[in-house]
Amino acid sequence: MNTINTTRFGEIEADESQAIHFADGLPGFHDRRDFIILEHKPGSPFLWLQSMDAPDLAFVMINPFLMKSDYLQDISPEEEALLKNETDDEIIVFSLVTIPRGEVKKATVNLMGPIVVESKSRRARQVILANSGYSHCQQMIFG
Amino acid sequence: MLVLTRKVEESITIGNHVTVTILEVKGNQVKLGIRAPRSVPVNRTEVFESVINENIRASEAPSDLESLTLPIKAAAAKKSGGL
Repeated sequence: MNTINTTRFGEIEADESQAIHFADGLPGFHDRRDFIILEHKPGSPFLWLQSMDAPDLAFVMINPFLMKSDYLQDISPEEEALLKNETDDEIIVFSLVTIPRGEVKKATVNLMGPIVVESKSRRARQVILANSGYSHCQQMIFG
Repeated sequence: MLVLTRKVEESITIGNHVTVTILEVKGNQVKLGIRAPRSVPVNRTEVFESVINENIRASEAPSDLESLTLPIKAAAAKKSGGL
């Protein structure tokens, strides 16, 4: 168990099974490589991607298949290879959510740049599906 | 910035595994061929920058998501088991 300082959630205890490692960081945050995934609340579709060493750095994530049940069904073999990255490991896909301050209803989801986590190795990457037609700021559908 | 002059069909090599070849020059358009290992993502810079900018915007999320929870929950119930 590690104690992690966070701005939003205070001190939290996290074990290794929650930690994921971005070998190349995230675009825009290249030096932030170690994160943990936290549930927002039991039953909530939202998760948090919290940096282990930058207390104020956290992203909201969602399971993109909740937004679009046929997500990733029609991507090219090249982009599928980018997602799988030649791993035999099961991959788990998340999407980052952007919530404009004070304008929660304008929340968008980045379907073009999914976060891919290899479930056993806990390695993670943000993959850019530039030719998929998916938007980096897809409006969230409510109701 | 390193500046190199190349002709059509000439190329440059970056590191040990990335080769960029000038395929065609037409007016102000240049067609490039890029050979790189799969582990090296290749993107148009403006696409990469759009992801950087979206990540920066996403990192400013408020911790209170209450107003988002309810409507999405309904969608979650409809399409459970996606993960």
